[in-house]
Amino acid sequence: MAGTASRDNAARQPGAPWLTLKTREMLEAWLFVSPTFIGFLIFFLGPLVAIFYYSMTEWNLLSQQATFVGLRNFENALLENPDFWHVVRNSVIFALGLVPLNIALALSLALALSRPFFGVVFFRTVFFAPVVTSAIAWAIVWKFMLQGEGGAVNQMLAWIGIDGPNWLREPNWAMAAVIVTRVIKMVGLNMILYIAALQSIPRDYEEAATLEGASRWQVFRMITWPLLAPTTLVIMVLTTIGSFKVFDHIYQMTGGGPENGTLVLAFYIYQQGFKFFNVGYAAALALIMFAIVMALTLVQVMLRRRDME
Amino acid sequence: MTPRRIETLYRICWTVALLLLAVPFVFPFLWMISGGFKSTTEIFGAPTLIPRVWRFENFAEVFAYQPFARQYFNSLYIAATVTVLTLFIASLAGYALARIRFAGAGLLMLFLVMALMVPEEVTIIPNFFLIRAMGLIDTHWPLILLPVFGPQGVVATFLMRQFFLALPRELEEAGKMDGLSRFGVWRKIALPMARPALAAVAIITFLHSWNLFLEPLIFLSSLDKFTLPLALSNFNDSYGLPLWNLQLAATSLAVVPILIIYLIAQRQIIESFALSGVKG
Amino acid sequence: MTKVLLKDIRKRFGTVEVIRGVDLEIEDGEFVVFVGPSGCGKSTLLRLISGLEHISEGELSIGGRIVNEVPAAKRGVAMVFQSYALYPHLTVRDNMGFGLKVRKVPAGERARRVSEAASTLKLEPLLDRFPRQLSGGQRQRVAIGRAIVGNPDVFLFDEPLSNLDAELRVHMRSEIAALHQRLSTTMIYVTHDQIEAMTLADKIVVLREGKIEQVGTPRVLYKSPGTIFVAQFIGSPKMNILPLADGQPISHGASVPATAVSVGIRPEHLSLVQPSAETLRGKVRLAEYTGAVTLIHVELDGGQTCLVIHNQGTMPEISAEVGLKAAPEHLHFFDKEGCAV
Ligand SMILES: Nc1ncnc2c1ncn2[C@@H]1O[C@H](COP(=O)(O)OP(=O)(O)OP(=O)(O)O)[C@@H](O)[C@H]1O
Ligand SMILES: [Mg+2]
Repeated sequence: MAGTASRDNAARQPGAPWLTLKTREMLEAWLFVSPTFIGFLIFFLGPLVAIFYYSMTEWNLLSQQATFVGLRNFENALLENPDFWHVVRNSVIFALGLVPLNIALALSLALALSRPFFGVVFFRTVFFAPVVTSAIAWAIVWKFMLQGEGGAVNQMLAWIGIDGPNWLREPNWAMAAVIVTRVIKMVGLNMILYIAALQSIPRDYEEAATLEGASRWQVFRMITWPLLAPTTLVIMVLTTIGSFKVFDHIYQMTGGGPENGTLVLAFYIYQQGFKFFNVGYAAALALIMFAIVMALTLVQVMLRRRDME
Repeated sequence: MTPRRIETLYRICWTVALLLLAVPFVFPFLWMISGGFKSTTEIFGAPTLIPRVWRFENFAEVFAYQPFARQYFNSLYIAATVTVLTLFIASLAGYALARIRFAGAGLLMLFLVMALMVPEEVTIIPNFFLIRAMGLIDTHWPLILLPVFGPQGVVATFLMRQFFLALPRELEEAGKMDGLSRFGVWRKIALPMARPALAAVAIITFLHSWNLFLEPLIFLSSLDKFTLPLALSNFNDSYGLPLWNLQLAATSLAVVPILIIYLIAQRQIIESFALSGVKG
Repeated sequence: MTKVLLKDIRKRFGTVEVIRGVDLEIEDGEFVVFVGPSGCGKSTLLRLISGLEHISEGELSIGGRIVNEVPAAKRGVAMVFQSYALYPHLTVRDNMGFGLKVRKVPAGERARRVSEAASTLKLEPLLDRFPRQLSGGQRQRVAIGRAIVGNPDVFLFDEPLSNLDAELRVHMRSEIAALHQRLSTTMIYVTHDQIEAMTLADKIVVLREGKIEQVGTPRVLYKSPGTIFVAQFIGSPKMNILPLADGQPISHGASVPATAVSVGIRPEHLSLVQPSAETLRGKVRLAEYTGAVTLIHVELDGGQTCLVIHNQGTMPEISAEVGLKAAPEHLHFFDKEGCAV
């Protein structure tokens, strides 16, 4: 402990500050992070703990009283309420439709737009534009265009002799419409992530392969695609998680209808919690959503680790 | 055909395909603007891109139907406030996490990563009761506090941290030798050099706040407190059916300025998203 | 009077002890150079003195004041960084005046001191440029200028010339020497470069794995290195070390200490002669012609390779049998622990 003694000694030297430099540095650091940290405690960690409590209560709207009901809400969701499984089914269909379509389109666009050519900036700008647009605005316009009678989409289909359905009034078509319009809105984001990844792949690989006589497709299959694997993994998980969180788009376009055909988890939580005030039930749903997202993230981490080895 | 010819043909095919593909990305914007100028009869008649009669009154009616100017201003000032606060708080925390070795840093990072992974939908219910307990329902406070301290704020913190990590350490040490305090180093050296990162954070934060919907929907009830997205979804007649031409006119008013800024600064904006995406 | 005194200084990063008990006395106005292999802790020691790193244990005093807990800026030291660390968003003038501004020196005084330093370093025409508009050598001078402006008691340099090309390095070396003559301020200088160390230093400190191996004037380190490590570290090409048995013939005339187990001879002290019983014998394996001298690799009969600097006209053939001879006063003897005896 000679060091401590000499430090204490030094602290009393003229010109030396009252606190040791090390302590000061630590205090400074905490001062720097304190706004983030305090906000985090209040608006994240606190609520995260509270949600466990809420999920085990039943809320009486009139008396504003919470009754402890244990795992009743989870039982209700998982075992009794048929709505829940319907909603999960919708969410899964939504994700299964959205994720592959989004990634395939994003990758195709990125491959086409990762090299400079005349018009590349124009196309990138166009495909990215919906990303900066509010989901509500996007949904309003598409809802307008997807009307059965006199909607622009059906009008265009009519030109090529197709009699379009009343998109947002039939559950299956509505689901398809929501998926496709969501993909168009968000694909630009994945596109630029792919472009960034593609541009970081050294051209040498491709050139070497081409010299060895590989076709374009072979170059993609054997070189580009494997090198993109880490990016694809990240994009896949982010997009999947994102698909479970879609709310505003569906709120505006279908309101969960028709016949609950587009009622997905995020919307169901909102409905139960803030329209029907089944706070306990909604909290249980939120926790289930949390579990799903965590599971997906874990899968990512595990896949990544396996990838590294 | 020469290889050069084949290459050219190949290019043309690609370009045509891309142009076709661009239609669903561009057409909605055009259709939105055109719809905003149409009369009710034309809206429901056979669709045309150029309105037969330009009905400019729609835009006046937008402001009569709702306090739309006020709502517009709400969105602007909330987004601006959120952006400034986020820049301040995230650059402070990001700096400390990148540059100061301190007890608890690792734990804090772990917590922040967690906050990044948990969707807002999960914490919104307890947050609602918290905000209500604070007496802040139907105020703009939750729309400022929740994004600043929520996942979006964490993304900003990580972006700043990443940038500060890449700054040459010797520069800050030079500042320290020159007599700057820790805060001075942050303010006078780190921040001026972090302009690109600050710009990226500002862009994604502003847009996030501008487009925020769930929080306004839950916390706001007075028309004159609404923000734009909420106001847009509110152009309905007494049967709850959309007043299409007003709604589209209002949507145009909300979207077009952002689009114009986007077209001017597309490079910077796209890069900002790329940065935050790579982080996330 | 700015003596710098280090008393049993230690530094740990986590559990790794990087500086392991350094005692050193640096006199007022002295030019001290730290040398040592990469990773031996030169930069760390310098940063401990500057206040950029916190001292884990021990006592550091500058000008008679213990400064362990005094912040960097209040220690009266200035540092010139390897990367120069010029603020990219400030002009040369503002870079140089920044420290004064932070310390609230009035503008007039500030301008005077900046222009004084600028004229010393011939920086006047560059004052309104930004760092990115300067060449490497100019940046280096600005970095030194920034250090001068604050009138420090001690200058610290961490490999300040390593980013320059060979010619500029020689030039800046002489400028730094001139600066030291003019200011006669205490200077502590870290380098990899032997020549820099030998030419600049009043006193060289050889560090090895966080400890001082030897301290002395360049002459002393060259003439009487205390250990094999120092012997091989100072001087280029490095000293040949042979087991005493193999070196027997050459040590003929010298008095060999009883505890000696090996003998060292610098390549420049060996000369090529006809092989005989009183010389080392070997075959020429390689001759590297460098212009002024030729570096000859001789494989001894015992199997070791010996380097010889050869500057006579006649060049031995490859594979030729040669003898090696050295004057007895140029022999260095080392014991089992590698210490000079
Ligand atoms: N901040 C740090 N954290 C942990 N270890 C460190 C830190 N700084 C330096 N070290 C370790 O301390 C040892 C000495 O480093 P230092 O930079 O002082 O070496 P050096 O002699 O300057 O080497 P070089 O000649 O390569 O510059 C090294 O092993 C290094 O890895
Ligand atoms: Mg070093």
